[in-house]
Amino acid sequence: MNTFARRWEPDRRGRRAAATGALAAQRGRTSADEARGSYYGVPVIHRAHWHWLIILYFFLGGITGACYVIASIAHLVGPSEDRRLVRAGRYLSFVALVPSPALLILDLGRPGRFYKMLRVVKLRSPMSVGTWGLTVFGGFSALSALVQAAEDGILGRGLRARAVGRWPSKIIGIAGMPWGLFVAGYTGVLLGATAVPLWAKNALLLGPLFLASAFSTAASAIGLALSAAQGTEPATLERLERLERLTIGAELGLLAASRARLSATAAPVTTGTPGALLRYGTVGSGLLVPLGLHAVARLTSEKTGRRLGMLSSVLVLVGGFLLRYVTVVGGHASADDPRATFDYARQEQSGTPA
Amino acid sequence: MSVASEPQESPSGSTGARPGAVGFLTDVSLCIGCKACEVACKQWNQLPADGSVAGSGLTGFSYDNTGDLGATTWRHVAFVEQAPAPTGDLLAGLLGSAPTQMAWLMLSDVCKHCVNAPCLDACPTGAIIRTRFDTVVIQDDVCNGCGYCVPACPFGVPQLGEGDRGAHKCTLCYDRLVDGMEPACAKACPTDSIQFGPISELMPRAVERVTELQNRGVEQAHIYGDRAWGGTGGINGLNAFFVLTAPPETYNLPASPQRPSDQVLPAFLTTAAAALGLGLAAVAALRGR
Repeated sequence: MNTFARRWEPDRRGRRAAATGALAAQRGRTSADEARGSYYGVPVIHRAHWHWLIILYFFLGGITGACYVIASIAHLVGPSEDRRLVRAGRYLSFVALVPSPALLILDLGRPGRFYKMLRVVKLRSPMSVGTWGLTVFGGFSALSALVQAAEDGILGRGLRARAVGRWPSKIIGIAGMPWGLFVAGYTGVLLGATAVPLWAKNALLLGPLFLASAFSTAASAIGLALSAAQGTEPATLERLERLERLTIGAELGLLAASRARLSATAAPVTTGTPGALLRYGTVGSGLLVPLGLHAVARLTSEKTGRRLGMLSSVLVLVGGFLLRYVTVVGGHASADDPRATFDYARQEQSGTPA
Repeated sequence: MSVASEPQESPSGSTGARPGAVGFLTDVSLCIGCKACEVACKQWNQLPADGSVAGSGLTGFSYDNTGDLGATTWRHVAFVEQAPAPTGDLLAGLLGSAPTQMAWLMLSDVCKHCVNAPCLDACPTGAIIRTRFDTVVIQDDVCNGCGYCVPACPFGVPQLGEGDRGAHKCTLCYDRLVDGMEPACAKACPTDSIQFGPISELMPRAVERVTELQNRGVEQAHIYGDRAWGGTGGINGLNAFFVLTAPPETYNLPASPQRPSDQVLPAFLTTAAAALGLGLAAVAALRGR
């Protein structure tokens, strides 16, 4: 119980639990040397405790929201043969939705008190509006999946099931779409509204970045499901791939803009393992390779093309997950770096007119 | 980075504290590093000892044995050994005209009880409240341990407890205030480095003290926690503020942090713009011919 981990201290084997660069054991340095420029490298701010549960939620939350939006838009503007796409989008949205509240509740220090979040609305807290947004969107996602199931005859052929099947799914889709977009994007805003330099400095672009990634991963998830199923029209897949390419392009642009905005603050996500994962996992195999595969697929037979499409979908999904992972663990490293925190506070001061 | 060491302007002393606000004035120039405040805080609030060796270990880099504010450390005395910056002027050093002695800087750090508190903004349960004393308190029976206040605080104050997984921080001894007593740390401080009182009385006292220090040649003396330093931007002032004699970074304080929740609306607007763009992209891509 009384094991208070102090991350800046060396553990028994003399390693530092976290990278506090300034402190890296340098012989011949005095305490006074270490106190110059920072307080012995002790982090200024406390890092968030978020890890796998939240990373997985950020990933699934993007997919559930964007799948819903893609399905709703395809229902509105797509040709009738794209009904398979609509169906897959609605089911996938629901499948990705179901574990989301569970992940969030399990992450709480006191899971039994999750309902305390449902007693207040605070517009200045993205966590609060996010809880409400997810709750409302969960209703839409479940409702659309229910109507779809009734249309598909999964609920049986009883009177009640047929009545549900006649509910206006287009109107439900239109009403649910803003909530789906919200759920897919608010997580970036949530990270940005902290004191963590890596997130806070990039607050304006994190939401759009997560949203673009949500669209590309959702389009890939739907594409994967449709390609795996027999009898999907090639034209349907072609339209989905077109969406994938557009959103991948947006994601690449936003990543480049974030890199420029962050400059030196980006170090935790450009160096070390997170840097490699972002460079090769997300940008390389998760975005650029899929674009290349789409180009190659046009030159091959339909069967090979479909397989290449499935491969690119898997790569986009993995890349999207890695983006969430790198953003979260990079934020922890950024919070642990006193110099990044000091620089951010000074820059914000000089950047804002008094 | 290099810590800026420009001499301070005259103290400003401007704060957005609400009428009737109380708080701390912590004056580093009076602190002797006795840690009576740490002990008094732990005893009154029944907080366990922390430290690497059975709760008594030093951190290994100074006489600091708590290292940081945390779930069970609500007052933390920072110890800074400051060597004079090498001037390169050997002759001046030999003649004694350049400072050669080490300086001891000590600061009793505490929750700043911000006028606009980022932790309070972030809390999704309403567990963090502003009291009638204009202080910021976490209600432990409401907190569900979401941990969002932890990275939201630009000063690194709240932390999740290891055992009970709830967020904890200084309450400015709310339970003592309601009984008309001053907080335990201020009561215990033997040099009045920690002073408790209404902000309207403490702030003029800080301005006076800074002026005096500057007149005595401590050029860098300044107030941390007014609208010039620390309580800048949307934070608008700290109800627990400090008189510092070195740049804030020396004491592990960020120079002028902004209020994180000020980014919420602009960030949602850019996200909404992105949503519009991506939605139109989806319409263009999925449209039937």
